[in-house]
Amino acid sequence: MNDVLHSTDTIAAQATPAGRGGVGIIRISGKKSSDIALQLIQQQKTFKPRFAHFHQFLDSNQEVIDEGLILFFPGPNSFTGEDVIELQGHGGPVVINSLLNRVLNLGARMANPGEFSERAFLNDKLDLAQAEAIADLIDSSSEQAARCAIRSLNGAFSDHINVLVEQVINLRLYVEAAIDFPEEEIDFLADGKVAGDLQSIIDQLDAVFKEANRGVLLKEGMKVVLAGRPNAGKSSLLNALAGRDTAIVTDIAGTTRDLLREHIHIDGMPLHIIDTAGLRESPDAIEKEGIRRAWTEIKEADRVLLLVDAADVQEGDINTLWPEFFAELPDLSKVIVVRNKIDKTDETHGVSEPCLSNTVNDPNDDFSTTSSTEFPTIRLSAKHGEGVDELREYLKNVMGYQSAMEGGFTARQRHLEALKQAKFYLVVGQTQLIENGAGELLAEDLRMSQNNLSEITGEFTPDDLLGRIFSSFCIGK
Amino acid sequence: MDYPKRYGVIVIGGGHAGCEAALASARMGVETLLLTHNIETLGQMSCNPAIGGIGKSHLVKEIDALGGVMARATDKAGIQYRVLNSRKGPAVRATRAQADRILYKAAVRHTLENQTCLDIFQQSADDLIMEGEKAQGVITNMGVRFHSDTVVITAGTFLGGLIHIGMESHSGGRAGDPPSIALARRLREMPFRVDRLKTGTPPRIDARSVDFSKMEEQPGDNITPVMSFWGNGDDQPEQISCYITHTNEKTHDIIRAGLDRSPMYTGVIEGIGPRYCPSIEDKIHRFADKTSHQIFVEPEGLTTHELYPNGISTSLPFDVQLDLVHSMVGLENAHITRPGYAIEYDYFNPQDLRYSLETKFVEGLYFAGQINGTTGYEEAGAQGLLAGLNAALRSQEKEAWTPRRDEAYLGVLVDDLISMGTREPYRMFTSRAEYRLILREDNADIRLTAKGRELGLINDTLWQKFSEKTEAIEKETQRMKNTWVQPGSEIAKKLNKHVERPLAREYSLMELMRRPELDFKKIAEVTGENDVTDVVAEQVEIAAKYEGYISRQLDDIEKLKRNESMKLPTDIDYGKIKGLSNEVKQKLVECKPETLGQASRIQGVTPAAVSLLLISLKKHRGARPLVTELK
Repeated sequence: MNDVLHSTDTIAAQATPAGRGGVGIIRISGKKSSDIALQLIQQQKTFKPRFAHFHQFLDSNQEVIDEGLILFFPGPNSFTGEDVIELQGHGGPVVINSLLNRVLNLGARMANPGEFSERAFLNDKLDLAQAEAIADLIDSSSEQAARCAIRSLNGAFSDHINVLVEQVINLRLYVEAAIDFPEEEIDFLADGKVAGDLQSIIDQLDAVFKEANRGVLLKEGMKVVLAGRPNAGKSSLLNALAGRDTAIVTDIAGTTRDLLREHIHIDGMPLHIIDTAGLRESPDAIEKEGIRRAWTEIKEADRVLLLVDAADVQEGDINTLWPEFFAELPDLSKVIVVRNKIDKTDETHGVSEPCLSNTVNDPNDDFSTTSSTEFPTIRLSAKHGEGVDELREYLKNVMGYQSAMEGGFTARQRHLEALKQAKFYLVVGQTQLIENGAGELLAEDLRMSQNNLSEITGEFTPDDLLGRIFSSFCIGK
Repeated sequence: MDYPKRYGVIVIGGGHAGCEAALASARMGVETLLLTHNIETLGQMSCNPAIGGIGKSHLVKEIDALGGVMARATDKAGIQYRVLNSRKGPAVRATRAQADRILYKAAVRHTLENQTCLDIFQQSADDLIMEGEKAQGVITNMGVRFHSDTVVITAGTFLGGLIHIGMESHSGGRAGDPPSIALARRLREMPFRVDRLKTGTPPRIDARSVDFSKMEEQPGDNITPVMSFWGNGDDQPEQISCYITHTNEKTHDIIRAGLDRSPMYTGVIEGIGPRYCPSIEDKIHRFADKTSHQIFVEPEGLTTHELYPNGISTSLPFDVQLDLVHSMVGLENAHITRPGYAIEYDYFNPQDLRYSLETKFVEGLYFAGQINGTTGYEEAGAQGLLAGLNAALRSQEKEAWTPRRDEAYLGVLVDDLISMGTREPYRMFTSRAEYRLILREDNADIRLTAKGRELGLINDTLWQKFSEKTEAIEKETQRMKNTWVQPGSEIAKKLNKHVERPLAREYSLMELMRRPELDFKKIAEVTGENDVTDVVAEQVEIAAKYEGYISRQLDDIEKLKRNESMKLPTDIDYGKIKGLSNEVKQKLVECKPETLGQASRIQGVTPAAVSLLLISLKKHRGARPLVTELK
């Protein structure tokens, strides 16, 4: 059995939480791991098992990416049961990113969510009682990864990718139709159309890749949204958390008209905090647009801080907690209620966890029968600072749990890797077409290219392709 | 009465699936009975008079590599051969032959009648003999009870067949043949998921009423290829041409005016037809801006005047058929010998089948051909062969065998059908095969014949021939790998005339052949050494040209094997597997995949879901090994 499992790919991923930790670890597992490590240091040696080896990590031009420790755990006495290499470097996202990229270029594949644990389990390194836990991890981390993927596919990036995928599909349509229906007078391989389209796709892919690499289009980190009625104190809380006056704080309802994004770190962990405009009916066009965007942000968030004015809202009274808001929210488990302005109510600052006996999972349930104690509640005063540290600590805990899973950083890495592979196959296919006139090899490269893009955009089967061919061309004798 | 002889395998139906099934089982030495309602129509080509084509010829060659009859019958009947995609590379090249219907049928019947261990009986099958959940024989129309270990049903379009011409419809299995009503009713009582499909055929034309001088002639290829690996072209009859004409605006107007009497467009026909083989009314309706369509006028044989106008399959009323035929150049005075028609028939959801084509509900019962939702002689023949050999294996109490997706188009066909089911008649295309570069028609024997020999499908003569070929390929490959050309040598100077970049270092002949400017022939000319057959040269050359791609695909296949070899228990409770979404659970319950690999190919089953399945599998197995190595 082990032989069969060992014949699979060598995988790599960042093992430490995304963000600015002091140390960043990249874990590599599989047959090729020590080869990859040797190429990374450009030396011939044997790593002594379980010893720390200090080295410079080099890129393909012999430039130093980082320096740090290499640890070698030969299988089966390793976490996964396979040969494992751990690279410990400095934790900054840019350095870790370059190092991981280099490892991937040297022949590793980006690990799937939970894949290290999966391998460990399959190689009998984890006991059977842990099966459920592993299943949970895979389930929740792929869900998390999917959410991150959707988020990093926001707006411009996603538009670019979708256009690209559509063009690759179109190209495949022509190539595959020419192959499978040679008697239909649709030989696009011969007429130069395919070659022209191919070049255009490669150029566009280059452009998207460049932009994506600059981080212009993708976001990273956990996303926390601050939501609340006008004048509940959202901007003040944002300022208190960030330590800077980024939002205009006034007493006039509707002051914050656009989203304000703040990228803050809590002990090296990145957090996006997005202040939303007060969610209320408004005749003002700009304000309406602000409200629309706010909803989009709320639905994509990992946590929603629902801010209420403690003076206006009775604790435990869900009715005053905005039933319309809950009705629209896709996932109630993400909500944290923050009671602000406790300086006016004399409540004690601090955190209370949800009261389980009252938990309601069904979003269709009648909210009037439930109480706000089903949500974690934090009482604080943004203005005076009481309770703000508790909130910070609370978020950190939430993040700590999450960090075992896929972050936005990994999602982005995965996308870039997919784009890179997609381009690689397009270029190879182009050579096959131009130098060898080999349409069937171009077709194979296009298929591989699309497989890679599909990791970003979703499955596209041969049957989907045939369906497109039949609806585009009049086929059939 | 109970028939005194007991059979290992009974095959119901004598079409392309039935003939291959019966022959395969008998070749394996299992006593086999072929039950047909009419011995005269054994091996009948009910639709177009051609075998092969893209994707399809790949299946024909695979049948041939496993000792089947289709390719050899084609070589005895082929009256026009063409190699399609001849300029696009070996992986997508496909042989297509027009076949003389009468010669084809005769060749198939000759093979059947001379096959040892095979009996033929003319009588329609009305019922199955059941023992509990097991099929143990067949009861015929006049009450004869044939007992057997297994039954293969290849009923084609005969189950509940309904023929449409215009607004008229009547029961029928094929024009001129009765349908199988009793058997259809019997099968509908079982828990199979049944649905209706539709297919069609064009009106046939009398060649004496056609003006060929106005049409474009389409001759066969100069060097006539052979379909079978075992043949040499000696059997081939006289070669003749096909002709091409076109529909025009007038044709399209006639069709549009007749749509109110079209069973397709008035909702009379409920079955779903194939999108890639649409009726002419469908083409005109769906691609309204296209002003003309190609029509291939194909001869039905050397001794008949009947022509098959490929491209005008229709179920319009006969008067409309006559007008539309007359509107085309060359067919102005054409006489129709048989009207075109559409036929609706029962098919069973192939997701209710195992890889062996045995049904999941009834042990020992196998389905092959159109009954599984496919279309085409080749698709039918390939399934027939597989069902026949697996029925025989079961009768011999041996383990079932089906090629994987990376081993054969037959593997792709079966895996697609049983994993995804089909909503329209399923036809093979090369784009369905992810390992297209490996699954070529030229190497079907190399992929499958050794397995065929092991199963007992390949006799000594064929095996001898195959062994000689593979030895020659191996020897030539070694020679090409071990023959080195030094830069500056006489041979290098000659080769430099052909290539862009002159030889700068020592190269083996194999390496040189990878260069786009060079091929086996050119190298042989320069070196003066060529003592192998074209077939051997071709294999060595393809291996060199595709090397990088093939090794990449082989890597992928290695990874695939883990999931393919992991069997999923049939009693697995998907509802209890934690983390699977309801959608995934539902799809798994519907399909009941046999292996983890099959599960992973069901649409909507995510990689994470596959991981969860794997883990739950491991959990249930405990310390026992998960993977049983495939032999």
